Amino acid sequence: MERPFDKQIDRLKVKLIKMCSLVDEQVEFAIRSVDEKNISLADLVIERDLKVDKYDTKIERICQKLFALNQPVAMDLRLVMSALKINSNLERIGDLAVNISRFAKELPAKPGFYSRLHFMEIAFLTREMIKNAIDAFIGGDSDLARRVLASDDKLDNMVHETSQTLIEIMKEDQNNIEPALKFYSIFQELERLGDHATNISEEVYFIVKARSIKHRDEDDLFRDHDFNSES
Amino acid sequence: MKDVKIYTENLSVFFDYIQALNNVSIQIKANRVTSIIGPSGCGKTSFLRTLNRMNDLMHGFKMKGEVKIDGVDIYDDNIDVVNLRKLVGMVFQKSNLFPKSVYENLIFAPKLNNIKDKNKLDEIVERSCTQASIWDEIKDRLNDNALNLSAGQQQRLCIARALSVNPDVLLMDEPASALDPISTSRIEELIFELKKDYTILVVTHNMQQAARISDFTAFFYLGQLVEFEKTTKIFTNPSNKQTEDYITGRFG
Repeated sequence: MERPFDKQIDRLKVKLIKMCSLVDEQVEFAIRSVDEKNISLADLVIERDLKVDKYDTKIERICQKLFALNQPVAMDLRLVMSALKINSNLERIGDLAVNISRFAKELPAKPGFYSRLHFMEIAFLTREMIKNAIDAFIGGDSDLARRVLASDDKLDNMVHETSQTLIEIMKEDQNNIEPALKFYSIFQELERLGDHATNISEEVYFIVKARSIKHRDEDDLFRDHDFNSES
Repeated sequence: MKDVKIYTENLSVFFDYIQALNNVSIQIKANRVTSIIGPSGCGKTSFLRTLNRMNDLMHGFKMKGEVKIDGVDIYDDNIDVVNLRKLVGMVFQKSNLFPKSVYENLIFAPKLNNIKDKNKLDEIVERSCTQASIWDEIKDRLNDNALNLSAGQQQRLCIARALSVNPDVLLMDEPASALDPISTSRIEELIFELKKDYTILVVTHNMQQAARISDFTAFFYLGQLVEFEKTTKIFTNPSNKQTEDYITGRFG
């Protein structure tokens, strides 16, 4: 006999997966709105953020109800705890997609230096991280989650290199400063998107393995005697 | 209201000079599970027993106010109490099976209601046991003494026995408090299944159980109905401070 609790958990998973798909598409459209200078796509992302916020609120309510009425334990407890955090990260990813779309609308026509930025290469890596984080969550795949973590360093390096290139571009011609600053902000948002994909992957690892890998190894983290005696 | 099954208006109950219930007005919805929670002596069980007139023979029992089921005043002089209890079944904290076979326990009430046909009785036994999710476990043990079943099975058999006369309402007084966690979980699943066909009231000391199983929760204190709301509301944002203190364990 299926417990009413299982139905609620399934409902939570379905809502999260739907939110994942929506947010993934928001990021895709935001990136395309920059690359294609597509204003209507940017407007669509901005408009659909309300839908992301609705999912956020709905998922929070489901989690609150699950905690209050069902007192989840073990795997169920970790899932509901992590669902709340994954939800927050997805909501932030949605906000960042909106920010990128707003920058896309403000950008003048594609500047001459665009090809030096490797925008689509970096955007592709960011999207892949988000997609893998979502797949890891859906499939309960802790190995895939770990791989997302490894990609974050690569993304950070690529964004850092591009930031240096942008500084050079600004030095070359002061007419470049305004569009280059917009691109600088867009790359910062891509880097943050990678951070949120990493956060989601850490939560997936916690759900599956019951260990936190957010900071460093949990055992090292709590080796400090004073901290232990306080708790 | 069409979906209201049980309705009480200013219900007060006394046992001699002790007032057990004080002006309780409540509307219990049909085909929903309603939990009644509150500290010991708050009137939970007195309220439940008032709904099928189990208090009538208690020493010094007096009541004021109205109790209606399907719009009918159950304390009216014309009410046949035996028929009322057919409509409103009850399950207690400890199973109270007769020291007879499983089969005889299950056909006891139908026979009292003049059902004699063996096929019909067999049909009732299978239906009520299936509804109480115990048929598969006892279909080959119908002639065994009912008291030889496990505690969890005995309690589900009590539920099956209550269902044998096709009641509309099922009153449960701490139905799982004497059971282990697995048997408790089976009873809770059963309650969830049964609400499709019955209106269920459960008295429980276990607040987590009330949260898990019920659609509505009533909090009683000192004989008064303090708060009656959807269970989600009670356990996430109760309106009354006493309710909040009780469910968070800060009471007293």
